[in-house]
Amino acid sequence: MRSLSLYQQGDSILHKLDPLTKILYIVVALALPSITASVKVSIACIISGLLLITFAKVLKNMVPIVSFSTIVILTIFIIQGMFYYANENVLFTLGPMTFYREGMLYALKIGLRIYNIITSVSLLVLTTRPSDLIEALVRKGLSPKIGYVLSSILQIIPQMTSMMNTITDAQRARGMETEGSLLVRMKAFIPLLGPMVMSSLVGTRERAMALEVRAFSSSRKKTFLNKPMESAQSTIWRVVLLIILIGAVIWRVTS
Amino acid sequence: MTTIRVSNLHFSYQEDFEVLKEINVEFDHRSTAIIGQNGAGKTTFVKLLKGLLLPTQGDIWIKDYNTKENTVAFLAQHIGLVFQNPNDQIFKSNVLDEVSFGPCNIGFDQKTATEKAKDALQMVGLLDKQNLNPYDLTLSERKLVSIASIVAMDTDILIFDEPTIAQDFVGREKVKQIIKDLIRKGKLVITIIHDMDFVAETFDRAIVFYNGNILLDGDTREVFSHKEELKKAYLEPPHVTQLANRLGIDKVFLNDEELTNYLKNIELKPQA
Amino acid sequence: MKHLIVENLKYCYPLAKDLALKGVSFEVDKGEFIGVIGSNGSGKSTLCQALVGLVPNFYKGAYGGKVIACGMEVAKSEVAEIATKVGLVFQNPFTQITGSKLTVYEEIAFGLENIGIERSEMKCRIEHALDLLGISKFKDKNPFDLSGGQMQRLAIAGIIAMEPDVIVLDEPTSQLDPQGSEEVFQAVQNLSQEGMTVIMVEHKIEKIAAYADKVLLLSDGELVDFNTPKKIFSRSDLDEYGVSPPVYTKIAKNLHITDKLGLYPVTIEEFSQYSGQGREKL
Repeated sequence: MRSLSLYQQGDSILHKLDPLTKILYIVVALALPSITASVKVSIACIISGLLLITFAKVLKNMVPIVSFSTIVILTIFIIQGMFYYANENVLFTLGPMTFYREGMLYALKIGLRIYNIITSVSLLVLTTRPSDLIEALVRKGLSPKIGYVLSSILQIIPQMTSMMNTITDAQRARGMETEGSLLVRMKAFIPLLGPMVMSSLVGTRERAMALEVRAFSSSRKKTFLNKPMESAQSTIWRVVLLIILIGAVIWRVTS
Repeated sequence: MTTIRVSNLHFSYQEDFEVLKEINVEFDHRSTAIIGQNGAGKTTFVKLLKGLLLPTQGDIWIKDYNTKENTVAFLAQHIGLVFQNPNDQIFKSNVLDEVSFGPCNIGFDQKTATEKAKDALQMVGLLDKQNLNPYDLTLSERKLVSIASIVAMDTDILIFDEPTIAQDFVGREKVKQIIKDLIRKGKLVITIIHDMDFVAETFDRAIVFYNGNILLDGDTREVFSHKEELKKAYLEPPHVTQLANRLGIDKVFLNDEELTNYLKNIELKPQA
Repeated sequence: MKHLIVENLKYCYPLAKDLALKGVSFEVDKGEFIGVIGSNGSGKSTLCQALVGLVPNFYKGAYGGKVIACGMEVAKSEVAEIATKVGLVFQNPFTQITGSKLTVYEEIAFGLENIGIERSEMKCRIEHALDLLGISKFKDKNPFDLSGGQMQRLAIAGIIAMEPDVIVLDEPTSQLDPQGSEEVFQAVQNLSQEGMTVIMVEHKIEKIAAYADKVLLLSDGELVDFNTPKKIFSRSDLDEYGVSPPVYTKIAKNLHITDKLGLYPVTIEEFSQYSGQGREKL
C-alpha cells in the first residue's frame, strides 16, 4: 500500500519515543542557535541530530532530502556571496565572479539553519508513524476532525492517483489521445478532470455519511485504542531538553 | 472467422508476480462470457485485448492488428470497452455530447457521429433524455449512457466489464436486451460478469478464469456441466441447474423455460 | 419487543419535486431478518438512511411521520447517538474505509473510539467482530489492500463492533463476486442468529428468499406489502413493481406446484419438498 509518508519502520529507542518529545527536540534544536547566536552551537545541533538519525538507522533515507537542499544552499552561497548588501571584503574570485566574505558568512548561517531544520524534522518524520503523531496531538486537544483530515489525506491521495489511472484508461478506451504534443495533452485535460471531480465529490459524500454512522460527530469523550506512547524515558528526555534550553537562555542573559 | 487471437500471453504488473500466465485463446463470432473470482485476472485480460496494457510476453491480434504495434486510439476503431463505473468517464454536460465523444475521436464527422450517438441512445432507451445532464440521471441510467457511448463507436468487437452491477431487475433485463441486439447485429460481444444466471441466459460461450489461467472454455452449457472445476474456481452453476440437480436431474439447464418444459414431461406430482 | 417502529414516514429531498417516501409504516420485532426489495428509485436507500437518522439530519429536506429505533425517535436525536443503537452498512465497500487508520484492527476501533469505549472492552469487541466476520487473519493488513469482499466484511465489522441492536445493510453485495456475496450473507446470518435485528436491501432475490424471515416490498416510495417471502413471491402482480420472484417460484407457478395453502415454494428445499421430488426419492 502506497502512502504519502516518509516513515521508516524500525525498533530503535527513537522509534519508540513519543512524538511530542520529538517535537520538543525540534523546538530546542531550532531555538538554541538563535538564542546563543553561535555558529558552533548550530553545528553542534546538526551533529547531534545526525548522530540520533544514524542511531535510529534511517540515515540513508535522508540522502534525497539532503541532496535536494544542498542544491538550494549552493545557490544561496552564489547569490549572497556575490550580491549581499553588506559585501565589502573580497574573499576570492572565480573568473568574472567575485565572492565576498560578508555574503559568504551570511550564506553559511542560512545554510546551517536549513540543515538544522532538515535534520531535526527528519528525526521526527522518519521515525514516527503519521497516525501516531496525529493521535498524540488529538490527545493534547487538537480537534479530532482536523486530525482525521490530516491522517486521511496521506492515504486518500494515493487512492486518487489510482482513480486517475482508471479514468485515463476509460477515456483512452473511447479513442482519446492522451500522449503527444502539448495541444493534445491540453485537450485531454477536461475529459480527465471532469470525471475526477465528480467521482471525488460522490466519494466524499459517501465517506462523510459512512463516518457519521460510526459516530464521528459524537459529543462523548473520545477514547483511544492505543496506549499513549509517553514513558519514563520521555520524561527524562523532556527534562534534559528543557534544562539545555533554559541553560542557554540564562547563559545568553548573563553574558 | 477469427476476430481476436491471443497467443502465449503472459502479463505481470510487478516483476515477481504473474497476473496472467500462458494464455492461448481465439475468439470467433460467438458471444462470450468471462467468469471467475475477483483477482483471477479478468479485467487485466480485457485491458490487454483493448491495448490499454501490453503483454509482458506473447502477442494479441485484434483482427489483423497486433496490439503491440498499434496505438490504443487506432485500436478503438475496432474494439470498444465499457468500464465498470460510468462515473469514471462522464464529463459532458448533456447526454448526446457525451455519447458522440467516442465516434468523433475515432474519425467520424460530426454529422455521422451524432447519428451514431442517436442510434445508440435509441438502443439503450434513452433517446428522450438526450438533452439532459448525465448527472441528473440515476446511476443505472448513467450506466446505460456509458454503454451507449461505446456502442455509438460502432466497433465490431464490444467488451463489457460487469454491466449488471447496481442494476435492478428491470435494468438487468435491459442490459440483456442490449447485448442480444448487438449479437444480432453481428458484433462480437465479450462480457466479464459475476451473475451466472445472466451468463446462462445470454451467452453462447463461457471462459472460466482461475488464478491467471483459463480453467474451462467451451459452450456455456458444456462449461456449466463441469461441477468440480466450477467449485474450484469458486463458482456455481445457474440457479435453474442447481434446482434440477437437487431434483435428481443430472443435466444443465440454461433458463427457467427449459426446466419448466422438461419437468412438464416427467410427471411431477404436486402434494395435495 | 418492537425494535423498529416506522409510522407514516414521508420524506422529500431538498430541491426534489416528488416525495422519496410517501407515508411508509411498519414494525419490526427483535431478532427478525427483514429483506427489502423494489426497483431502483423505489425508496429503498432513503428508507435505510431514515432508519439511522441520516434522513433527515444529514440531508435536511421535508420530513413527516416518525421512526422510533429502540425507543429513540431518530429525527430528534443525533446521528452519532443513533449509531450506538442502529448501524448502517453501505453499498460501496471502498468509501466506508475511513482512510485514517493503517490496519484492519485499528479501522474497526474507529467507531469505538468515537463513542468512548474503554480500551480493554474495545479489544474484546474488535476480536469478536473480526472472528464473526472471518477476517481475523487480515487484522494487521492495510484496509485498502483487501479485496472487495474482505473490505465489505471489514465495513460490517466496524459497525457491529459498536454493538447496535439493529443492523441495516443497503445492497452490501452488489459489487462483490459470488464468493464474496456468499461470505457476506453467511456473516449476516451469523449476526441474525446472535439475536441482532437485520434489515437488508438486496437484488439477489434467491438469497433473500432463503435468508429473510419477512420481505418488505417498496414501489415508488410506498410500501406495497410486508409479509413472509412465500406470501410476497406468490403474488401475481410482482412485475408491476419491477421485481421478479426467485427462479424456483417462477417454475413452480408454471407447473402449479404449491403448498397446502396454495402458496408457491421460494427456495430449492421447498420446491423439492412440495413437488415430492427430492434427490433422496429418486
